[in-house]
Amino acid sequence: VLVVVRSPLPRLRALLQRCWGRLERGLWPGVFGGQSPPCGPALAVQGPALVPQGISDTGESSAEVPSLLESVLWMAAPKHRRTIEVNRCRRRNPSKLIEIKRNIDVCPECGNLKQKHVLCGYCYAKVKEETRLIRIEIHKKERGPFNAPTVETVVLYEGEKPTEKDEGKRIIERARKRPSWFVQN
Amino acid sequence: WLASGSLFPLSCIHTSTSLWQKIGKWEKKNRIVYPPQLPGEPRRPAEIYHCRREIKYSKDKMWYLAKLIKGMSIDQALAQLEFSDKKGAKVIKEVLLEAQEMAVRKHNVEFKSNLHIAESQTGRGRYVKRLRCHGKGMFGMMKISRCHYFVKLVEGPPPPPEPPRTGFDQAKEYVQQLRNRTLVHTL
Repeated sequence: VLVVVRSPLPRLRALLQRCWGRLERGLWPGVFGGQSPPCGPALAVQGPALVPQGISDTGESSAEVPSLLESVLWMAAPKHRRTIEVNRCRRRNPSKLIEIKRNIDVCPECGNLKQKHVLCGYCYAKVKEETRLIRIEIHKKERGPFNAPTVETVVLYEGEKPTEKDEGKRIIERARKRPSWFVQN
Repeated sequence: WLASGSLFPLSCIHTSTSLWQKIGKWEKKNRIVYPPQLPGEPRRPAEIYHCRREIKYSKDKMWYLAKLIKGMSIDQALAQLEFSDKKGAKVIKEVLLEAQEMAVRKHNVEFKSNLHIAESQTGRGRYVKRLRCHGKGMFGMMKISRCHYFVKLVEGPPPPPEPPRTGFDQAKEYVQQLRNRTLVHTL
């Protein structure tokens, strides 16, 4: 008698036995696709009455074993099948439906939609793209990590000259017209 | 170019039979042609049917989005879908934009904002069963589900929402039922 206990719960054991039986009878040909079972479920044949123990031990084992099995039989399980009407009432309850969002506005800059408390996605993408190009210029100037200067940086576009305020600052040149949203200061 | 004009209606039937065996019923609804209207009749609003098949999403989860959109104008629906966090929202938004484009180009709709969503439904696509390995050598069968999404756009502003049934309406109906009682098979 095998005492290997892989699945101590009887319900799972029954499911495994059914699945294994189906596999052996060939009702599930396409399960493993020709390979050996990757994780073959082990059969747990636990026979408390058949355990070869001495007669003196039966008193102790009968006291221990029912507590193992009977406590397992008290698990909560559904008694009846939930009908589709009951299921629909639960799934279509107004609390489960998606609520309409009332915080959507139009961005005054570009005209796309935006949420009131969030930046406009289009404008953000626009600024992100320009920042990426500026960063490329910075990398070209620095030519390596840990070369950032200790002074401020100023970005100048086509046709702009550095003013008196930009005396000691590092200048990054971008070869395009100044975008309307990037205010020069 | 006369020959190409006559070949065009045939070519669209043959190209779509490769992937699925038949053209779905929803796609065929766009082909109905009504007889010309008489001068006194009110104008029939344009109806546009569009769908997308085999979307990799669950039909139950997609249903919530379809229920959200039902009865809205197309602009409002696009706004709601843009800021929804669901995966199906992106797909439905593409479908709506495609349908709007089709409406303007082929179905003689004048204003692309003058559309509202009359019907929006989900359907079950083809499922595939797969093995899902758990611990301790146990396994379960999971199903990879796909869904279809169907939408019908109708020209015109969205219909006003129905007022909810109050207790007063129910009471009136009950009294009316009582008043309708008569004696049958008598003088």
